[in-house]
Amino acid sequence: MADVKLTIAGRPYDLHCADGQESHLLQLAAVVDEKAREMPGGTEVRQLLVAALMLADAAQEAKGKIERSEPQSDSLRAAVALAESREAAARDELGAALKELETMRRAPAPSFSPSNNRALLQIAERIETLAAKVEQLP
Amino acid sequence: MELDLDESSMAIGRIERALSRIEKALTARANRPTVAVAAPAADQSALKAEVAAVIGELDRLIAEADRG
Repeated sequence: MADVKLTIAGRPYDLHCADGQESHLLQLAAVVDEKAREMPGGTEVRQLLVAALMLADAAQEAKGKIERSEPQSDSLRAAVALAESREAAARDELGAALKELETMRRAPAPSFSPSNNRALLQIAERIETLAAKVEQLP
Repeated sequence: MELDLDESSMAIGRIERALSRIEKALTARANRPTVAVAAPAADQSALKAEVAAVIGELDRLIAEADRG
């Protein structure tokens, strides 16, 4: 345990706290002392009362702010979750597309049999001849 | 001469262009106000027979391609 000497509203106090907590306790005491000094001229008890009330008011206001921001935080969390799920779905789709592309790349190129190729060429020639005949129709 | 894939594509392109010429000629013929002179019956029969033969040949090729 550590010994700490505090001064609030002009009165010294000797307190104990856990080791390492001294500076934090001194900082809190400084806040209380500052609030107490905002009510000069009153009795020490009244100064401490005003300090306690002002600090209670600040604590209540801070609590209210947290409660008011909670719904907004919820919608932000929901938006983040939605974006994350969409990103995951898009990543999955991209992965599947890449896999399909890789499969297509590895697949052997379609081959036309020589007889089919010859037939295709002959058909082209026959249709061209037909086109010339149709164009010459009276 | 053996065709490779690119040459097959070129043959298909030739077929498409020829079909387009036929379609254009037939459309122009249908839009003419009157047909002055009809083609001889023998020519018309030969034309029809050639069209039927080409269609038959295409059907055969398509069926062969479907079978892989």
